[in-house]
Amino acid sequence: MRVTTISDLARPSLAKGVRLQIDSTTGKSVLLYPEGIVELNETAHEILSRCDGRTLVEIVRELAEEYEANSNALAADVRDTLSDLQQRKLIEFK
Amino acid sequence: MTVPRPYALLAEITYRCPLHCPYCSNPVTVESAVPSGGQAGPTALRTAHATANNGELTTEEWKRVIREAAALGVLQIGFSGGEPLARRDLAELIRAAREAKLYTNLITSGIGLDDDRVRALRDAGLDSIQLSFQSDESSLADEIAGARAHERKLDVAAKIRAAGIPLSLNFVIHRRNIDRLPQIIDLTEALGAERVELANVQFYGWAFRNRAVLFPTRKQVDRARDIATAAKARLAGKIDIFYVLPDYYDTRPKPCLNGWGQRYLTVNPTGDVLPCPTASSAIPDLHFENVRSHALDWIWRDSESFNRFRGTEWMPEPCRSCPQREIDFGGCRCQAALLTGNAANTDPVCEFSPNRATVDALLHQINSSNGQVHDWTYRVNPTHVPVPA
Repeated sequence: MRVTTISDLARPSLAKGVRLQIDSTTGKSVLLYPEGIVELNETAHEILSRCDGRTLVEIVRELAEEYEANSNALAADVRDTLSDLQQRKLIEFK
Repeated sequence: MTVPRPYALLAEITYRCPLHCPYCSNPVTVESAVPSGGQAGPTALRTAHATANNGELTTEEWKRVIREAAALGVLQIGFSGGEPLARRDLAELIRAAREAKLYTNLITSGIGLDDDRVRALRDAGLDSIQLSFQSDESSLADEIAGARAHERKLDVAAKIRAAGIPLSLNFVIHRRNIDRLPQIIDLTEALGAERVELANVQFYGWAFRNRAVLFPTRKQVDRARDIATAAKARLAGKIDIFYVLPDYYDTRPKPCLNGWGQRYLTVNPTGDVLPCPTASSAIPDLHFENVRSHALDWIWRDSESFNRFRGTEWMPEPCRSCPQREIDFGGCRCQAALLTGNAANTDPVCEFSPNRATVDALLHQINSSNGQVHDWTYRVNPTHVPVPA
């Protein structure tokens, strides 16, 4: 597997052609893209709904405050999730 | 049995098409087939008005179908055909789909897409375009399409990019173009597409009729698979490459539709609702319901056609006791019908099917014919479907 290092100052955003939406059947959030649908778990939803120009550190700080979580562990989770979505071309970094 | 919700609707809004590709999966219309070498026309699209209930669905009927599909759980819609651009109300239908919060794909040959129309579709909310190509260069591509199309498609790809709409390319791969795979991948790169589908021809509709000439040899298929695998690795993160395997050469069937009536539905130009776009022609003894007579919800949940092969209860042996039954769902019902005469049989591609010999005989014939050249039959437009005003 390719190791990707994501900078603290990277600004994740949805890739072109990808939409984040609530699935009205389940109430869960989904990513829609050409001929594909990904159902998001709560962690991914919380991360992606903040991918609007904020930097990685900002996203981690907010989540750590909201969930009273250890920010080092959380940063690793966020990086893993974003890296997985980047490899699937669902998000990009600016 | 709990009925699942559908995720995607394929809206085949017309069977009219300016191209005549011999691999088309649309139902074969027998009245005026044209052999290769002959003229593949007429390309003029019909403008007769719809009469009563045998014509293409009207704009209002499609809008109702779109709303009903969204209420049923559908999240994605593919506008396809035929050539969907042949419908002048396409932008209006895309707008209706966006209002219903659907993700909208246009699956098109690109013929008829000028600057104004690209902008109109984008402004209506179109999310993505899948543009078909027949090969990497004009002479072969136009021969396959039965029309002068390739140069126009190159121009259309540039227009789509300029309008900022995500672009996927689609190539149907068969004996006549499979050896051009490296050049085809180069073209995809040159056109700046985000995604390409290299789909080995599936034998339904016109492609089933033209099987002898379209079928690639085992040698071709092995080479193509290596090329696709290498390209996938080389272009990872840049272009998503989807290589659709030729299932006849496999020993296990494809998990067709992820199961009958599980995730997908198709509405054809005249409003028949199908579990799979090729079902109406491949399985003629199954009656399919129409949106003019029934609500989509009832058709999806309760109709005989959607329940006939839903789940695993219908399965014969060897599927019934097979550990793979929830993985490949017994393969493709249309293929079982076309090759064995019974849609309820195990897909004969499966090595455990009692009918696998049918597929092996065909492969033997294809691989021992020493490059024997056959003519194909070009697809023609149906002449019996009235078009709304």
